[in-house]
Amino acid sequence: MSNIYDNTSQQPPRAGLLLLQALIFLVFCVFAVRLWFLQIHRGEFYARKAQENQLRQESIFSPRGLIRDRNGDLLAVNEPAYALGLVREDCPDVDGTLRQVAEWTGGSFDGLKELFVKNQKRVKGFEPMILVPDLSFDQVALIDTNRLRWPGLAIQVRPRRQYRHGKLLGHVLGYVAEANEDEMERRPELALGDYVGKQGIELVLEDRMRGVKGRTQFEVDVTGRRLQERVLKHPRAGHEISLSIDLGLQELAMDWLDEEAGGVVVMDADTGQLWALATSPSYDPNAFSSGLSAAQWAELRDDPQHPMQNRVIQSVYPPGSVFKHVVAGAGLHYNMIDPKEVVHCPGFTQLGSHVFRCWRKGGHGNVNLERALVESCDVYFYRQGKKLTVDRMSEFAFASGFGTLTGIDLPHEKAGNIPTREWKRKRFGEGWQGGDNLNMAIGQGYTLTTPLQVARFFAAALNGGKLLKPLLLKDEKPVLQGQIPLNQDQLDLLYRALVRTVEDDRGTCRRLRTAGVIVGGKTGTAQVVRLTDALKALKDDDIPYRFRDHAWMAATAEKDGRRFAIVAMIEHGLHGSSGAGPVVKALIDYIFYGKVTPKPEAQKAKSRAARLLSYNATGGGRAN
Amino acid sequence: MPIDRRLILSINWPLLGLAVVLFLLGTLNLYSASGYRLEDGMNMAPYFLRQLVWGAMGFGGMLLVMVFDYRHLKTIAWPLFWITLALLVAVFFAGKTIYGARRWLDLGFMNFQPSELAKIAVLLVGARILAREREPLGFVRLGYVLGVGLLLAGPVIRQPDLGTGLSLILILGGMILYRGVTPPVFKTALIAIPSLLPLAWLFLHDYQKRRIMTFLDPTTDPLGAGYHIIQSQIAIGSGGFWGKGFLQGTQSQLRFLPERHTDFAVAVFCEEWGFAGTMVLLTLFCLFLSQMVNVAKDARDLFGSYLTAGVFFYFFWQILINTGMVLGLMPVVGIPLPFISYGGSSTLVNFCLVGLVLNVSMRRFLFKQN
Repeated sequence: MSNIYDNTSQQPPRAGLLLLQALIFLVFCVFAVRLWFLQIHRGEFYARKAQENQLRQESIFSPRGLIRDRNGDLLAVNEPAYALGLVREDCPDVDGTLRQVAEWTGGSFDGLKELFVKNQKRVKGFEPMILVPDLSFDQVALIDTNRLRWPGLAIQVRPRRQYRHGKLLGHVLGYVAEANEDEMERRPELALGDYVGKQGIELVLEDRMRGVKGRTQFEVDVTGRRLQERVLKHPRAGHEISLSIDLGLQELAMDWLDEEAGGVVVMDADTGQLWALATSPSYDPNAFSSGLSAAQWAELRDDPQHPMQNRVIQSVYPPGSVFKHVVAGAGLHYNMIDPKEVVHCPGFTQLGSHVFRCWRKGGHGNVNLERALVESCDVYFYRQGKKLTVDRMSEFAFASGFGTLTGIDLPHEKAGNIPTREWKRKRFGEGWQGGDNLNMAIGQGYTLTTPLQVARFFAAALNGGKLLKPLLLKDEKPVLQGQIPLNQDQLDLLYRALVRTVEDDRGTCRRLRTAGVIVGGKTGTAQVVRLTDALKALKDDDIPYRFRDHAWMAATAEKDGRRFAIVAMIEHGLHGSSGAGPVVKALIDYIFYGKVTPKPEAQKAKSRAARLLSYNATGGGRAN
Repeated sequence: MPIDRRLILSINWPLLGLAVVLFLLGTLNLYSASGYRLEDGMNMAPYFLRQLVWGAMGFGGMLLVMVFDYRHLKTIAWPLFWITLALLVAVFFAGKTIYGARRWLDLGFMNFQPSELAKIAVLLVGARILAREREPLGFVRLGYVLGVGLLLAGPVIRQPDLGTGLSLILILGGMILYRGVTPPVFKTALIAIPSLLPLAWLFLHDYQKRRIMTFLDPTTDPLGAGYHIIQSQIAIGSGGFWGKGFLQGTQSQLRFLPERHTDFAVAVFCEEWGFAGTMVLLTLFCLFLSQMVNVAKDARDLFGSYLTAGVFFYFFWQILINTGMVLGLMPVVGIPLPFISYGGSSTLVNFCLVGLVLNVSMRRFLFKQN
């Protein structure tokens, strides 16, 4: 203990003290310089880095405009869909994550990898790239519980289009699907995974319905959890659309078509608005918005019934006897038909060595214009066709809106065909024959029309000859496209014939009679092939489906100032009246009395059986 | 022992004040570092409160250390050395293994780390040996001092606890440098130490090698080992000149900065107070250290002076290594920053060691007592 207080002349080492002070000075200088470098010299760089860590931006999806029918019933709505996205910057192991996603969703790793590589450039930094557009609830639950183990995965909620009535309006509404490269190229506002209209109204009114996406900025913490969020730009919802279609009417039309190939048009004769535009068979547009698999697409494309074909505007058929009203109009216009002129119909007529038959073997006897229309006498119109020739019939047909597009706001409309001498020379390299005039006069031969053109023509018969653009939107004003070159007396004459066809005991459209409604009509039976005698001898039910005639029914109906043109066209429906008439009758009942007459089950079963037989035997046929 | 009024008057108040100010700044910073933002409001981990409790205990410990005359420590230096050595050996055979390292002795009511005791032992024994004569150290004396140090550091490194083991050697090495060596020894060390460094590489664990490689190029593994370095530099750099403001640091509040209440606590400070605030903090630390140099200079005897130098190095190395790491100048090593990083026992030890220096300083005039 004695030496602990022994302090004899102990001076601390001077060099040591200097060393300590030097060390302090050194540390101060080094750290100060480093701090200056990090905080001042590179301060802005690191501030940006911190902001990239902290703030992220994301699009806010704008809901697509709703679509309603004319009574306000919803046809197309938006429902939330869960998409799986990947934020590249947050994902330490892309391959492993993609492999896990493939396992969860039952997809293939190679497919996801390919998608990832392809789309890498299209996605902005820190924005999720959509890997799977539509997750099921089970998948959402599964992925959400494992999310923390797979950083970078994000479940996004996006509005997805849903079509309430599926097949019912597939061809009118069309569908939306993810934008492809072309569309993104054309519209810079589209991002990967955005839905755009591809068909139907969805395509035509894309700009009105899409709306404008918004943008939001939010703060994230290190786990990617969102904290405060600030909307930079509010999304603007797309405009709502009201179709002119009446859902109940459309439903009834589709019920009567019952998967049979054919189409129905109901057109308001005064405005041109379409109350029903049915084509059958149809497809379910919902299948497209959730992403169609290659197999599903192949099935739709290769279906012998061609459900992707909108028969009302994209299929062209010989109009058959429906065309007799056009020929009659031409005769009146050129003053070449005297309504009082009487023609004797013995059941056939001859041109050179060729015999042209009337559909009634025994003939109609003496017929004037009205009777010829009411009873649909072929011989009368053979005579008129021979007189008028193709030149006048064609000119009048063009003036009546045939052979040209109706301009309906749906894509891929066909114009049909009205033959001319020149056309035939070009097409077949041969001149117009006398017999061609006769065939044309009864709507056979080279004349091809769409059901919509026929409806527009019959609407003109009601509204004083005005050719109106067929409209699909409820708030659209009538658009006058042309005028049938007939005066009111001549139009009245044709209209009277239409009505007589229904009311006369020998008229071909007797089945359309409806109490309290002035109904007019014209049947048509369009030959698909020139029937051989062997086929002619068969009873209707025994004729193979694909050789059966197409059935037309074009009708007018008016009551209390409401006037409609209604056209039904059934492929291989055999006879106009029996094949296409019942649909029209049911529609008239519904329009004016709200009466719903479903197609009898027995009839449905019968036509189903005929179709089935036909496919098995021949693999299906197709009308042009 | 009665407390002399003169003792209180000669306390080094600046040193005491600086320690308290640094501690309070650290606690304030911990308040920010332990909170993080949620969707609504903030979540607060209770670190800063616990730190305050430990600080109060440390302050009490500091006062206790100041009461007795530090020269009594001379007598307990060697016994403490042997006890520590015995405990380290005991740990080696009967220690408790936690996380693969055998560092703890189970005392029944608490787990005790003899390596903490080793820091004090190396301080006391080092000062005791070095204070014996004034001549610069020759090879023999140096070997003796180093041998004593390695006796303590060896078992600690074997535990394995490389950090503490090296800090024992660093403290002792600092004291030796303060003491001075003969020119031949100095020249030999100048050549020997750099050439021995690659040899040390062989003894490092894989994770330690990886840390050094990551330090050299953090971008090779931005989400893995380099993450700490990158995020720390972003935090500091984004503070700019004036900082983002108290509780406003996005790197820390959104938890991008790892270990923000322990090893990287000072990065939180840099982010929120900017270059200006950090320079103030750095200056405070330097003043704190230079006050110790003053104490070492004015110490009544060499033992006190070396003791103070030892404490100086104890703080100096931690400040250098921790701040260097946070600023991206050194590899990531788990060494806290005194008073700023959260840690109960380290706060206690820090205050006690400050107490030791204050003890030396307040008794600088009392040489006539015997």
